[in-house]
Amino acid sequence: MSVVTTLIEALVFPGLLFVLTYSLYAQWVSRKLAARLQNRVGPLHTGWNGILQPLADFIKLLVKEDITPSAANKPVFNTTPLFIFALPLAATFLMPIQSITNLWGWDPVASFEGDLIMVLFLMSITVLAIFLAGWSSGNLFGAVGATRVAFMMLAYEIPLGLVAIGPAILARSLSISKIVDWEVASIGAFLATPNIWGILTAVVLFIGFAIYTVCLLAELEMRPFDMSEAETEIVHGWQVEYSGKKLALLNAGHDVKMVLAAALLTSLFLGGPAGPVLPPVVWFVLKTTFCVFILSNMSVLFARFRIDQLVTGAWRYLVPLAVLQVMAVVALSGVI
Amino acid sequence: MSDRQFVIPIGPQHPALKEPESFYFTVDGEVVVDVEPRIGYNHRGIEKAMEARNYIQNLYITERVCGICSNAHQTAYAGSVEEVAGIEIPERAKYILVFMHELERIHSHLLWLGVAAHEIGFDTLFYYIWRDREIVMDLLEEVSGNRCNYAMPTIGSVRRDLAKDNFPRWHKMLDTLAERTNYYIKVASTEQTILDRAVGVGYLGKEDMIKLSGSGPNARCSGVPCDTRKTAPYLLYDEIPFEHIYVNNGDVLGQVLVRVLETLEAVKICKWVLDNIPEGEITVKFNPMQKVPEGEAVYIVEAQRGELIHYTISDGKNMPYRHKIRAPTLGNIPSLVERLKGGYIADIPIVLAGIDPCFSCTDRMVFHDEGKDKTWSWDEGQLHKYRLEWYKK
Repeated sequence: MSVVTTLIEALVFPGLLFVLTYSLYAQWVSRKLAARLQNRVGPLHTGWNGILQPLADFIKLLVKEDITPSAANKPVFNTTPLFIFALPLAATFLMPIQSITNLWGWDPVASFEGDLIMVLFLMSITVLAIFLAGWSSGNLFGAVGATRVAFMMLAYEIPLGLVAIGPAILARSLSISKIVDWEVASIGAFLATPNIWGILTAVVLFIGFAIYTVCLLAELEMRPFDMSEAETEIVHGWQVEYSGKKLALLNAGHDVKMVLAAALLTSLFLGGPAGPVLPPVVWFVLKTTFCVFILSNMSVLFARFRIDQLVTGAWRYLVPLAVLQVMAVVALSGVI
Repeated sequence: MSDRQFVIPIGPQHPALKEPESFYFTVDGEVVVDVEPRIGYNHRGIEKAMEARNYIQNLYITERVCGICSNAHQTAYAGSVEEVAGIEIPERAKYILVFMHELERIHSHLLWLGVAAHEIGFDTLFYYIWRDREIVMDLLEEVSGNRCNYAMPTIGSVRRDLAKDNFPRWHKMLDTLAERTNYYIKVASTEQTILDRAVGVGYLGKEDMIKLSGSGPNARCSGVPCDTRKTAPYLLYDEIPFEHIYVNNGDVLGQVLVRVLETLEAVKICKWVLDNIPEGEITVKFNPMQKVPEGEAVYIVEAQRGELIHYTISDGKNMPYRHKIRAPTLGNIPSLVERLKGGYIADIPIVLAGIDPCFSCTDRMVFHDEGKDKTWSWDEGQLHKYRLEWYKK
């Protein structure tokens, strides 16, 4: 019985099928919100308010011609889209969403002490795969995009890792589900006996949330940090030579990454899928949609930065702020 | 070229270029070291085609030189022919011409502002500006019946009159435009991410600009006062009260400022025209078969992109012997190359777009023999000979 349960968890819910469906939904939310904020209508005709448009785009790309340029390094060029799709997908298995045996439980598909490190590692490896994808395409714009991806990683990787450590220190665990458990427990304790330290912790975690959102925007290559695909400059950068099925995989990989980012934000700072009255999966959808809203709202507000502006900006403001935040967390964890 | 440098081709097809044109950028990392422009992908033989058509037919060819400054081209063409033919156009027609000229300037500058926002990756601003640009597009459609090629000027007059009943409504539309333009001035000069991408980008000083003989907003943003409407007034521009806009920034921000301030001035001029337009006839008859006396004339207008020169030679027939067009983008390319050098790859699109390039107006034809590495162009005598031989066949 437990083998069947594990299989259903991994393949159907809350694993593969759910994450893929949900990533299409996240893409729709992001597109629709960005469109409304920009005074456009966005997807409209496919399904209710265009909710099936991401799926239609995906299917359309699958039937398009798949070209491998003759200048490309073929093995690397053909395999990297698989990695770019699979690595974030693997990381979503570690996210607490909903247990299928217990309606009020949120045990992830896989969980172990240190899976937070595993998620950060998988995210970094994805960037490496992106770099290889651009570099192997044999296109100048691809190469420029690939080097920009690597440069961007220099900028946001350190604060991204540092800030993720904050909740882990407070929860005294590197397991994402245990961090969620700690958040639920401490919110409960705070509601029972409100005190100044609880408010201070919330403030410090909010700063972490802000830094993390900025870093995730860069990780997701969304505006204002989309210089690695900058359409008007380098014609979609590292993706320039991809078409057909491979491009469909890359797009799906990007959506899964967006879900992963939203789920990480939710788990580390917003109390994960826990919430009153409703089952965890509903709270998960609500909270991650909120995070997607924040991400796409930020991405329509600004003009694209230059790569040098991102790197200097990150080292001048984000890294010191992240270090200060970790110091504050350490000080707080001594008190509470 | 050292081994750290490599060449990035941008164009003839590239999302940052709305028309086919090629640039070879030698880059060192992310920094542009050298630029080599190559024009000529969109040569359409318009000047030659004009020699085979009569003066009225040519009106519609000149209009199609460019989709955005169509009215400026037509005004300049009609002006040059009127000068050769010795036609004096009625006063009311002059007012209508100025009105169209300025409406087109508003539409073009707002369009450019949107494109510039898109080039620096600020799509939200792009959508907002283009939404507000619809006001002036509606206005143009109401006045002329068309959104793009207005076909308003004709030789000796304009083709449509302005209906007085509409003036109050047009005043209101122009007020909205001015209000929105003021808002965009505020956005462009205070939003930090725009300033990061615009201040000091593509800088060219006043002396260099004079040496490289740029024109239009491209030169005026470097502090060169070169608005033809002020320096060599045509139509009514010596009577109209308006400011000569130029700034000393010399960078992309300067280009933005010159254009938004000019948009405000253009709104002012339009409102002045609506207030002061006299009653009277608008038409002077010009027959398509009418012969124009021998002679030649130059007519210069300030198109949205700069100084636009039309030069007509008549040999006494009902079609021009030669008509020469010099579009502003051609004069702006040398300064564009200087602006691009030393910048970042990321700044290429905005600096390229900064001169508001219109390459299809610009393209010229030369012959190039790759084997002998020889380049030459034909003078008009050779072209004439070629034409005679072509039609003999």
